[in-house]
Amino acid sequence: MPHESLENLQAGFTAALLDAGAPAPDGVVDPAGRPAPRRFNVYRNNVVVSLTEALADTYPVVARLVGEDFFRAMARLAALEAPPSSPVLLQWGGDLARFIEQFEPAAMVPYLADVARIEWAYVEAYHAADAEPMPASALAQVPEDRIDDLILLLHPSVRVVASQWPALSIYAANVAGADPNAVAIDFQQGEDVLIARPDWAVDLRQLPVGGAALVAALGRGLRLGTAAAIAGFADPAADLARSIAVLLQAGAFTGFRLADPNQEQTPEGMT
Amino acid sequence: MSAKLLSTALIAGALATAISAASTTPSAAAGDKEKCYGISLKGKNDCKAGAGTTCAGTSTVDYQGNAWKYVPTGTCAMYGTTTKAEFMLPGDRKGGLDELKRDLPKM
Amino acid sequence: MTHLPARAGVGFKPEHFTAIVTEPLPVGWFEVHAENYMGAGGPPHRMLDALRALAPISVHGVGLSIGAGRGLDPRHLARLKAVVDRFQPAMVSEHLAWSSHGDTYLNDLLPVPYDGATLARVVEHIDTVQSTLGRPMLLENPSTYVAFAGSTWDEVDFIAEVARRTGCGLLLDVNNVWVSSINQQRDPIDYLARFPVDKVGEIHLAGHAPDTDDDGRPLLIDAHDRAVADVVWDLYARAIASTGPVATLIEWDNDIPAWPVLAVEAAKAEAVMALARRGAAHAA
Repeated sequence: MPHESLENLQAGFTAALLDAGAPAPDGVVDPAGRPAPRRFNVYRNNVVVSLTEALADTYPVVARLVGEDFFRAMARLAALEAPPSSPVLLQWGGDLARFIEQFEPAAMVPYLADVARIEWAYVEAYHAADAEPMPASALAQVPEDRIDDLILLLHPSVRVVASQWPALSIYAANVAGADPNAVAIDFQQGEDVLIARPDWAVDLRQLPVGGAALVAALGRGLRLGTAAAIAGFADPAADLARSIAVLLQAGAFTGFRLADPNQEQTPEGMT
Repeated sequence: MSAKLLSTALIAGALATAISAASTTPSAAAGDKEKCYGISLKGKNDCKAGAGTTCAGTSTVDYQGNAWKYVPTGTCAMYGTTTKAEFMLPGDRKGGLDELKRDLPKM
Repeated sequence: MTHLPARAGVGFKPEHFTAIVTEPLPVGWFEVHAENYMGAGGPPHRMLDALRALAPISVHGVGLSIGAGRGLDPRHLARLKAVVDRFQPAMVSEHLAWSSHGDTYLNDLLPVPYDGATLARVVEHIDTVQSTLGRPMLLENPSTYVAFAGSTWDEVDFIAEVARRTGCGLLLDVNNVWVSSINQQRDPIDYLARFPVDKVGEIHLAGHAPDTDDDGRPLLIDAHDRAVADVVWDLYARAIASTGPVATLIEWDNDIPAWPVLAVEAAKAEAVMALARRGAAHAA
């Protein structure tokens, strides 16, 4: 059954909520039937302020880096530019890094977008599907003659943020309770960050050279040998052993499987 | 079978080294659950209204890029405003803060 | 219909989890917002599993947009069903409000005009929700800040008619009764007296914040950021006198207090229900 009057009213209400310069919609009144712009502003502000708060909850380190006033003003613009498309707010706000990159007043903090990427990866890892991580010792069970067929399975929570800035060091120095002046940060040093949540806690750690490319290739379901070669192409200094060790310590694998040795590498196992 | 990109021995060696390193170094991730409870994220969906909200978010200035009045004032000042030289990009990528800014699209 | 115990419950906040699982439990049940458990997994799901082992759970949706003119989002209803199927709550509730328009979610419980078109829409939506979930739901009376020139129904009559046509139960938010009565210049005692108490499956209590309207008159905001106001406790005692003891939630979502402070609020609600029981025993 069509309810065009209700739909039209809500269309006008929505447009006015998202535009601070617009008048309150027609027909929105006080108990005496008179126009009530100040009352309507309660809703307008609830929308803008609650969405701004949702972003502040997701990005506490970004907020600490730029200060509350700057962050809230920026988050308000970001929220109005791209309000949620679903009621599940834990899935909303992942575009802030891209917004920051386009946002000129934030340009003087060039690493801000990468710190935002870490904070979003944290939220994604937190809410990712649960799975038991594989202990390092399990890999000792791979038969020696099947090493070429080994496929390592990533935990559903695994995310990687590759940064030309020391994004993890900056993040770590600015999380709640940290003293930003405690550690000297080398701004010449880029950092690739592994984010995983094998159990209750989200784990962040720096990946060795080539680790980001290795995880990306493993995420496509490639054999370890192929993934390692890709990482090696990406950076000849790629450190395969250390990368796997870091991934094992982070609980970033759920297990392994052995590919059919007679089968061509790619699409099989793609995720 | 496709041509091997890396030798079996190399991968086997890397695996053995990794297993040994991962097993001997204590993992920072191995925190107990008590510790982990403390860092729970808040639920973001609520059914409350903000207090004092008739005036909290209607400033039209905040909505207009050309009237932007905020500057970063948080701990980034430690990194950001002391020496611009610190913003030389790593590796062989040249360019400091000014060049970086020039590349950004205007609002 | 499954039931929550006639006890005080609280809205679950992750910061209280350690206290909840390690200390004697001062409440009879917990309420959670459905949307916060719509991720794939992680600590929220594990914490809710742990809570469920301690006490009954109520799932309170805040994003279904039952008053949406464009219709219910079937994807979101499917998500709600997944949460209900997984956590098997004793109660499921939602609001008489809208919060989505098409693909824009506004994250606020927005008011609907009380007219025939809205009534038909809301009834149709609640029918869909109840048939999809395979169980009845409770509908909550709103806090409102504006009125609509096009409204032709009184709020209580509107809610009673929705309940009559759909068979849904009602969630009586006593703080919303007070907030809306002040904001709409209605009589809260009359509102309670006309509210269909036989349909009430749960009560909500919360704190509100004072503000002013266009004429400088009091406008109350449903802020959930402080203790329940004394006047709302008085209204609650009056409501309980007619409903009898019923599951009562303390909602505190902003400026969240330490666990013992919340437990004291819950104890007050239990005390009001105990007095009502004693009063009923005397009268009998």
